[in-house]
Amino acid sequence: MQHNLKFKIPDGHNEKQFIGKLTAQYALKKEPAVAEKLTICDTFDWRLFNKSLVLYASADRLFLRKLAADEILHSAEITSLPSFIWDFPEGELKRQLTPIIKMRALLRLVEVQSRSVSYRILNADQKTVARLAYEEYRLWRRKNRSSLARHLWLKPFKGYPKYMLTLAKQFREAGLKIDKKEDLYFKALEVVDKKPGDYSAKINIQLDPAMRSDQATKAILRFLLQVMRINEAHIGKDLDTEFLHDFRVAIRRTRSALSQIKYVFPAKTTDRFKKDFAYVGKFSNELRDLDVYLLKEDTYRAMLPPILRDDIDPLFDHLRKKRAKALQKFIRGLNAKKYAKIMEDWEAFLSKPLRDSAGALNATLPIIDLARNRIYKKYRNVVKVGSQITENTEDGMLHVLRIHCKKLRYLMEFFSSLFPGKQIIALIGQLKKLQDNLGDFNDLRVQRDYLLDIIEELPMAQRRSKRIFAAIGSLIGSLDNEKKSVKNAFAKTFTDFASPANQELFKELFASTAQEVI
Amino acid sequence: MTTLALYSNKGGVGKTAAAVNLSYLAALSGAKTLICDLDPQSSATYYFRVKPRLKVGAKGFIKGGKQVYESIKGTDFENLDLLPADFSLRNLDVAFNKVKRSKKRLRKILNPFKAEYDFIFLDCPVTISILAENILNAVDYALVPLIPTTLSVRTYKQLLSFCNKNNYDADKIYTFFSMVDRHKKMHRETIATVSKAYNGVLQSFIPYLAQIEKMGIYRAPVAVFSPASVASRSYQNLWDKVQNTILYPH
Repeated sequence: MQHNLKFKIPDGHNEKQFIGKLTAQYALKKEPAVAEKLTICDTFDWRLFNKSLVLYASADRLFLRKLAADEILHSAEITSLPSFIWDFPEGELKRQLTPIIKMRALLRLVEVQSRSVSYRILNADQKTVARLAYEEYRLWRRKNRSSLARHLWLKPFKGYPKYMLTLAKQFREAGLKIDKKEDLYFKALEVVDKKPGDYSAKINIQLDPAMRSDQATKAILRFLLQVMRINEAHIGKDLDTEFLHDFRVAIRRTRSALSQIKYVFPAKTTDRFKKDFAYVGKFSNELRDLDVYLLKEDTYRAMLPPILRDDIDPLFDHLRKKRAKALQKFIRGLNAKKYAKIMEDWEAFLSKPLRDSAGALNATLPIIDLARNRIYKKYRNVVKVGSQITENTEDGMLHVLRIHCKKLRYLMEFFSSLFPGKQIIALIGQLKKLQDNLGDFNDLRVQRDYLLDIIEELPMAQRRSKRIFAAIGSLIGSLDNEKKSVKNAFAKTFTDFASPANQELFKELFASTAQEVI
Repeated sequence: MTTLALYSNKGGVGKTAAAVNLSYLAALSGAKTLICDLDPQSSATYYFRVKPRLKVGAKGFIKGGKQVYESIKGTDFENLDLLPADFSLRNLDVAFNKVKRSKKRLRKILNPFKAEYDFIFLDCPVTISILAENILNAVDYALVPLIPTTLSVRTYKQLLSFCNKNNYDADKIYTFFSMVDRHKKMHRETIATVSKAYNGVLQSFIPYLAQIEKMGIYRAPVAVFSPASVASRSYQNLWDKVQNTILYPH
């Protein structure tokens, strides 16, 4: 089968020159021009771009294609541009994008106007034997209206392959080249000054093993500060829950770095900022908790027996109201002098040049030694605590283990550039499985307890309805059951993580240090 | 997928005009449609401005498969493709006689197209030989245009008794009135008699109209060059009747 051919019109040339040449040989029948607006979308952290996907809306449809390819993978009819995956119409497009976009909002990256004019190429019998289309793209309603791309498409017509071959040859001889690689996506984003993939919350810091430890730690902390700054600017707009989430993770990582990368800064400094970031973390707690609940609304509803599903509505209405208040409170916190002062001081500290003399015991140690020491100690910590956990252990111990795991995970991520990529990724993967189990357990426990408390908070009018109690009770029961099954899975997950082979690998990568570390 | 033949054992009754216009209307509704021109006179092919040439000839046509598939041409109308006729198709009878299971050969040839098309229309030449049997075996329904005259009715009777004798299901045969002149008393009376006497008579009349003959000048279905004309409305009415009575009866 023959395919459509896309020819690029060279700069300084006009499509009419090429179309004009054809009229000497063929009759051309022009069809009405079609103008369309294309809106290209992605999440703030480029989830689609990272999977080499392009999502755009045009007229009343959404289209998904691969980068640098014209073929449409899926499309769906829409009435307005959806902000979230749950606003998508049911179908293949939604199924494919759900695990990629998850809870992130779709943002409009750029709006482009396309204009195309089609021609039928006719033979002596006035029969269509091929199609030709001129297509140009410009930014939508912008001052900078120079064209982003101009193409001539040659499209085969069923049953007339020879005409296609002849026409393609004539185009090439006229100096047109087939445009394979250039994607309008990059061109359009470049013009509006957006760089695909320029934000990711994942830690990506290149460290040199011989670097001084205080210097390396500052590099890590500067990266985290940047993540905070980028996200803090968006939280107030309330686009989705993940700006706050990434902001909080960066704070947690900062606190973890301050406490886990030991003795690299003067004790006074470390203590001060530890306290400061504990405060910053705390004033966002309530908002995040409510976000987590509301994100789970559908899951919770599905847990309920159908007869009670609508009775849970008052609970979520209450949580939504509470969240609106919590958001305002959080924004007040962000705008407060105290927060501004913390961040200013922190920024000043991180950009201050290093002192020659060590201000702390480990400050001048090569970072590789400190990294090995800290990771290995934390790992042994995790194995020790985990080994003591049995079926009868209190839930609290699992929480303690969860915190240890988190600290280990952060250390491994901070320093991953210092170790062989394949091995460190495999170990982080193993750890993640254990963390998922512990995280699920903790979430279920916290949620169950929260539900027990929330009843007191519900307005009196709703507390009179017995069905809301029945619904919340049923939910607590389901969460408790699930919690049990997650706990049952712990033993196997932990045994896998603490397997002799894994222990050996940890030892090999992290146990030996060249210098004594305190 | 539905296969419909425009068939008659009498010539000059409006088979091709009906096949071209009905297939166009089917495609217009969004259904992927193929019209096969089995008539060596190749009028349907001419109406769609396609050259009457099958690369493979009647012999290759009988073999079926990829080569026949590659002979299909896109018409200038969306969703409508054409398998062109070829002068060598005048030998189809002979060619069918030479192969095994000769009466079901056409069905086998069309089989691979069924996945791609929602409708296949066959524009048939005048025949009541082995080709006719092939057609009756291949299609879900045969639409027979009937000019309301004594001679035409007589030929129609012959067709029904042919079916009877050779065990073809007469229920798949439907007829509609073609080239009707309401001014003629004989036409009016014949329509009344036939409608009473036979099953499967669609109450649809294609009048005898100059617009339909002009298809040869415009080389397009009537609805394309004269959308609001009586001719165009008549074919739309016929297509509605085909759908409501045969394809999707209530």
